[in-house]
Amino acid sequence: MAQQEREPASDGRTDRSLTMSRAMVEAIAHEMREDDDVFYMGEDVADYGGIFDSTDGLLEEFGYERIMDVPISETAYIGAAVGAAQAGMRPIAELMFVDFFGVGMDQIYNQMAKNTYMSGGSVSVPMVLTAAVGGTYNDAAQHSQTLYGTFAHLPGMKVVVPSTAYDAKGLMHNAIRDDDPVVYLFHKRLMGIGWMPAPDGPKTGVPEDEYTIPFGSADVKREGADVTVVTLGLHVHRALEAAESLADDGIDVEVIDLRTLVPLDTETIADSVAKTGRLVVVDEDYRSFGVTGEIVASVVEAEGGLADLEAVERVAVPDVPIPYARPMENEVIPDADDVENAIRDVHASE
Amino acid sequence: MVSVNELQSMYENMVTARHYEERLQEEYLEGKQPAFDISAGPIPGELHLAAGHEASGAGVCQHLRDDDTVTAPHRPHHIAIAKGVDLKRMTAEIFGRETGLSKGKGGHMHLFDPEVNFACSGIIAEGCPPAVGAGLAAKKRNTDSVAVAFLGEGAIDQGAFLESLNMASVQNLPVVFVVEDNDWAISMPKHRITDVANGARRADGFDMPGERVDADDAVAVYEAARAAVGRARDRNGPSLLEVQVHRRMGHFMGDPEGYRPDEDKAAAERRDSIERLEADLRGHDVDDETIDDLRDRAHERVEEAIEWAKDQPEPEPADAYEDVFVNPASGVTDSEPSVAETGGDD
Amino acid sequence: MSSDDDRVAVDTDDVWPEDTDEDEGVVVNWFLREGSRVDAGDDLCEFQVEKVSVDVPAPTSGTLEEIVLDEDDEFERGNVLAWIRPD
Ligand SMILES: Cc1ncc(C[n+]2csc(CCOP(=O)(O)OP(=O)(O)O)c2C)c(N)n1
Repeated sequence: MAQQEREPASDGRTDRSLTMSRAMVEAIAHEMREDDDVFYMGEDVADYGGIFDSTDGLLEEFGYERIMDVPISETAYIGAAVGAAQAGMRPIAELMFVDFFGVGMDQIYNQMAKNTYMSGGSVSVPMVLTAAVGGTYNDAAQHSQTLYGTFAHLPGMKVVVPSTAYDAKGLMHNAIRDDDPVVYLFHKRLMGIGWMPAPDGPKTGVPEDEYTIPFGSADVKREGADVTVVTLGLHVHRALEAAESLADDGIDVEVIDLRTLVPLDTETIADSVAKTGRLVVVDEDYRSFGVTGEIVASVVEAEGGLADLEAVERVAVPDVPIPYARPMENEVIPDADDVENAIRDVHASE
Repeated sequence: MVSVNELQSMYENMVTARHYEERLQEEYLEGKQPAFDISAGPIPGELHLAAGHEASGAGVCQHLRDDDTVTAPHRPHHIAIAKGVDLKRMTAEIFGRETGLSKGKGGHMHLFDPEVNFACSGIIAEGCPPAVGAGLAAKKRNTDSVAVAFLGEGAIDQGAFLESLNMASVQNLPVVFVVEDNDWAISMPKHRITDVANGARRADGFDMPGERVDADDAVAVYEAARAAVGRARDRNGPSLLEVQVHRRMGHFMGDPEGYRPDEDKAAAERRDSIERLEADLRGHDVDDETIDDLRDRAHERVEEAIEWAKDQPEPEPADAYEDVFVNPASGVTDSEPSVAETGGDD
Repeated sequence: MSSDDDRVAVDTDDVWPEDTDEDEGVVVNWFLREGSRVDAGDDLCEFQVEKVSVDVPAPTSGTLEEIVLDEDDEFERGNVLAWIRPD
C-alpha cells in the first residue's frame, strides 16, 4: 500500500549514484511498465525529454501515445488529466514551470483538489501533477518561483518536494500509486542537468529496484543537538552546508527535510524542537502566509511546543517577486550564509 | 503602395534586429563555454532570440505610432526595436543593469517601455488580454489609437488568446492579433499540437477578418498590416494576422535542437526576408551605397547600445525591495520592518 | 601491479555528438565510483558539449579501476575519461 515504506526488494546496486532527474524517470518508467493506465502529458516531454530532463528517454520506450506532447493549453490538458483519472487511469501531467499554474489553476484547485470531497468520497482523482520550481539562475519573476505553499494551503492535494535522488525515486513511486491527487514539485537546480549544475548532495545512491517513501515522513538529513533547521527542496542542501560550517564553531545543527508538505510530519519537527529548543525554518517560497509561518505555528500548537521553544527565526524570500539581475536575485533567495546567520542568532539568544 | 522611405525604415529595423540578436548570442555565450551554465556570463537566464522573425515586427509596427500599444511574447526584441523602444535601456535591462528599462528587475522576457506603450511577458498568450484592455481604453476615451498583440503559433491554443478574440470582436475593439508562425513551439512541431495549419482561420469563429502572409516578403506583411491596423484605427473592429516566419536559431540559446531535422533548419536559413527586402530596395532604385549606409548605421546603433549597457552599474542588492507598489506607504513593504532581514546578505 | 596494457580506455569518440564543431567537453556526472563493478553498456558518466548531454557507456565488463577526469573537468575529444580492468 502506498503509505507503507517499502524497502527495495534486494539491496540492488549500492555503488550506483543517479542524478535526481534520472531517479524520477526510473520510477516513472517502472510504473508505466507495470500499469498501462499510467501515461504522461506535457509540453516538450516527448522528443525533448522535458525541458528539465523530467521525461528523458521515456519516449524511446513508451512512444508518443503514452509520452504525450500536448498543445500549450494548460487548462485543457490538466483538466483532461483530472477527467482521465476519474475514469480510472493514472495520468501524470507536467506543468513546465510551476509559475504557469495560473493558466490552469481552476482545473487544479476547483476540480483536481476538490472533486473527492465534493463527491463525498465517491470520486477519486489518482493523478500526479509535476512541475519544475525554483530560482537561482536569473530567470526572473515569471520563471523562478516555488509556490508550493499555495498548493499546500488549498485543501485536497498532497504536496511532494524531493531533495535527493533517493527520495525523488521513492516519492515518485508513491505519488503514482496514491489514489489521491499529488503535486510533485522538483527543483530545477537539483535535477543534475548539465547546463544547470547542481550542488553536491542531490546525487545519491539509488537502488535499481522499486521502493516507496511514505508521504508525511520527514527525514532527518543531519542529526544535531543545538538548533533545529526545518526546510525542503534546494534549501536542504544550503542548510546542510551551513550546518557543516557551524560545526567548526561547535554549533550542532539538526536538519530536517520535510519531503512532503501535505501530509506534514509535525511529530518529527516537534520531537526535534523538544530536543534543541531552537528553531530555524528555511524556505524558498514567499515569507508571508506561507510554509515558514505554518511550521512555526505547528510547533507552537504541539503539546508542550510553546514551552520547548526558546528561539525561532524564519529565512524565506521576502515578499517581493523574484528580480532578474544577479545582485538582487542573490539578495532575495536565501543562501547558506543567510541560514548560518539565522542559526547563530537563535543559538545566541537567551 | 509602400514608399521608398518606408521600405528603408523597415529595412533598417530588420537589420538592426538581426544584428542585435547575433550580437546578443555572442554576449550570452560569454562565460558559457565549454560548459554551458545557464546562470553564468554577462547575460544569465533564458534568452529567446528572434532571428528570422524580423519582417513581422517591422512590417506591422511600420503602421504604429507611439501612442499605440504593443504587447509581445517571450521572443520580443525585434518587435521592441520596430516599436521604437529605447535600445540602450532595453539592452541594459537584458544585461541586468541599474539603468535598464526596469532597473534590472525584469530581464529580457519582461521589457516595459511606457514611453512607446510596449510590454512583453513570458507567459504564453498572456499579452492578448492586456492588448484588448488597451483597445478598450482607446474606445472609452474615444482616441484613434490601436493595440497590437504579438504571439507565437503555439500560443493560439491558449484560452487567453481565444477569449481575447471573442471579447475584442463582440466589443468591436481596435485590436490586431499578430501570430508569428515559426512552425515550432520549442520542440513541438505545429502539426502535433493543432490540426489547423492556417491559424488565421481561427478568426472565422469570431467573425473577424483573418489573413495569412509570408514574411519572406516583408512588403506583403506591410500591406496586410496596413489593412488590419487601418481597420482598427477606423473603428471597424479587430483582425487576426498570421505571419509565416522562420526560426533561424534554437528556441532559446543553448537549445541543442536535437528534435529538429537538419533540413528544416537549413530551409529557415535559406529563406531570408532581409535579403529579399534588399532586392526590393534595389528595385526601387536605392543604390548600394545607401543600403550600405543603412546597414552600417544599424550595426553601429547596436554596438553602441551594447557597449553602453555593459558600462552601466549593476543594481544594489537592496533595490530588490523597491517597486512592489508605487505607493508603499500604504503597503506591506513599509509596515514590515523585518523584510530586509529575511533573505538578505545584509 | 599488473600491466596497464590490459586496461580498456573509456573515451568519448563513439558517442561524440555528430552535429557539433566543438571539440571540447565537460564531465558533468559520474554515476559509479572507482572500484565499482560494471557491465558492458552500463552508463558510467555523462558529459556535455555545448548544451548537449551525452551518456558514456562502459566499453567492456569489469572493474572501474581509475577515473581520470572528474566532474567539472574540461577535456578534448578523444581524451581518456577512465580505465576499466576487464574481467
Ligand atoms: C502558459 C505557458 N505555458 C508554457 C510556457 C513555456 N513555453 C515558453 S515558449 C513556449 C513555446 C511557444 O511557442 P510559440 O508560441 O510558437 O512561440 P515561439 O517560441 O515559437 O516563438 C512554451 C511552451 C509558457 N511560457 N507559458
